[in-house]
Amino acid sequence: MSSNESNPNTKELLKMTGIHKYFGKVHSLINVDFKIDEGENVGLVGDNGAGKSTLIKVISGYHRAEKGKIYFKGKEVKISSPKDSRALGIETVYQDQALAPDLSISRNIFMGREPVVALGFLKKKVMDEESMDALKNMGLYLKSPNITISTLSGGERQGVAIARALHFKAKLVILDEPTASLSVKEVREVLEFVNQLKRKGIAVIFITHNLHHIFSIADRIVVLSHGEKLADIKKKDTNVDDLSELIIRGTIG
Amino acid sequence: MKKPGSSLILNYNISTTIAFIAIVVFFIIFTPNHLFIDIRNLVSIGTLMPDLGIVALGIGMLMICGEFDLSIPSLIPLCSYVFAILLMKGINPALALVILLPLGAVLGFINGIIVVKTGLPSFIITLSTMMFWKGVIFSLSHMAPISITKYINPHPYFEKMLIGTIGKLPIQTIWFVGVAIILGLLLHFNKFGNWIFATGSNKEAARAMGINTNMVKTTCYIIIGILCVFAGTMQSVRLGSFNATQGIGFEMKAIAAVVVGGISLRGGIGNMLNIFLGILIIKVLENGLILMRAPVFGIDAFIGLALVLFAIINNFIQRRLA
Repeated sequence: MSSNESNPNTKELLKMTGIHKYFGKVHSLINVDFKIDEGENVGLVGDNGAGKSTLIKVISGYHRAEKGKIYFKGKEVKISSPKDSRALGIETVYQDQALAPDLSISRNIFMGREPVVALGFLKKKVMDEESMDALKNMGLYLKSPNITISTLSGGERQGVAIARALHFKAKLVILDEPTASLSVKEVREVLEFVNQLKRKGIAVIFITHNLHHIFSIADRIVVLSHGEKLADIKKKDTNVDDLSELIIRGTIG
Repeated sequence: MKKPGSSLILNYNISTTIAFIAIVVFFIIFTPNHLFIDIRNLVSIGTLMPDLGIVALGIGMLMICGEFDLSIPSLIPLCSYVFAILLMKGINPALALVILLPLGAVLGFINGIIVVKTGLPSFIITLSTMMFWKGVIFSLSHMAPISITKYINPHPYFEKMLIGTIGKLPIQTIWFVGVAIILGLLLHFNKFGNWIFATGSNKEAARAMGINTNMVKTTCYIIIGILCVFAGTMQSVRLGSFNATQGIGFEMKAIAAVVVGGISLRGGIGNMLNIFLGILIIKVLENGLILMRAPVFGIDAFIGLALVLFAIINNFIQRRLA
């Protein structure tokens, strides 16, 4: 049985069909189908330039696909800006673009979505308290909501960014290389954050170069190569060696 | 308990305050007859400083979102010129000021929209608009001053409102402090301020979070344009005339003041109180050096030296605190 067939027991959250994306003459995504169920954890892997980032940027509204359809909870949707995507409950945590390093934790968590009183003045106390709650919810215990992001470790930063997604009731969290350039200990922290999301029933798309990272947490793995979907395999049907072989070869069979 | 990164006022930098106090104490002690704290001298500082200061406050805010504005020495005389022309047409000065505000906003908007739409460094763009408007103002005015005294005199309330005094306190100082408070509230307590910091600190993150960074930057330019209207009008009423060289050199002094105020040139870091103190430091340095009989035309050499010294000390203190 192909894993693409829908399982009646789980509800489909996001489905994309026939996605094409061009940058000038470069055909970055070629007829890609992608789907993720509610609470599912999908690893998106592939070599540099495989189209992983382009695909998630289409989902998060940063890029618009030239062709193809996107369905969210069974309804066709148009995602033409990051705002549209967030309105659906899709939160994207970009590798280096998630947080403003010079700002405090609470100012980062509410960046662009500040709770305000009249004339746009900040409810600073609400921001601080809710920030601390959001962090605790992720199992992240930091001293103060006023700590500047630049003083945090890489793992803590990912934690803050993921806590933010969670706080805004995300149904799907997209993590773009969340473990890149982290120490072993920090990687373990981040993977634990991702497990937290899973326990809360939130769907996660996890992009990485490192198959070992993905293997410990993913339910299903999607491999992209040169803009095309090469494989879409349940974790239990494969192993790290077969997958790396596949990525290196770049073709099936 | 000391909270890391003080809660409400982001990035407050103690070294600017220390430097300000040190400079003031230095001039109080070393100016001949302690002239520096003579009330007449303090009144003179309070009268002259806001010309640069009011605009520099806006420049500081713009620099926190990571951009420059070199066009102010042209925008100020341009606003002042149009003000003089409106008065000559018989328009009430208060009404003329109201008419000028949208003009200032448009001039700022032009800077902003070119910067965000081209994506080129604002240093280059505003250097260009500075030269463009300078050419326009020089050819329109033939560089001849226009006396406006006879149009202002029949309206003593207008004059009092801009350049009067309360007791000994110059109204200009009140405007300066008032603008600093308003911009400070906007920057540190309003969501717009959070967008400014976010834009300067990590533009991509701000955009990904749905902040319209182009709008944020353009708005900062518009605010500067409006402040140029204030500064230009205030200055020409005080001088009694339009002068084509009004505001000359303000672009660099504003940047110097803002940098002395501890604002990072790459954006994202800064504090309105520090910007305010940075402006005070530059003006106090100028004033104190003149009182100490430094040659007037060589004063910039001393300020340049003091700036380098300040930058070194500031850097040292910062690293000690970190």
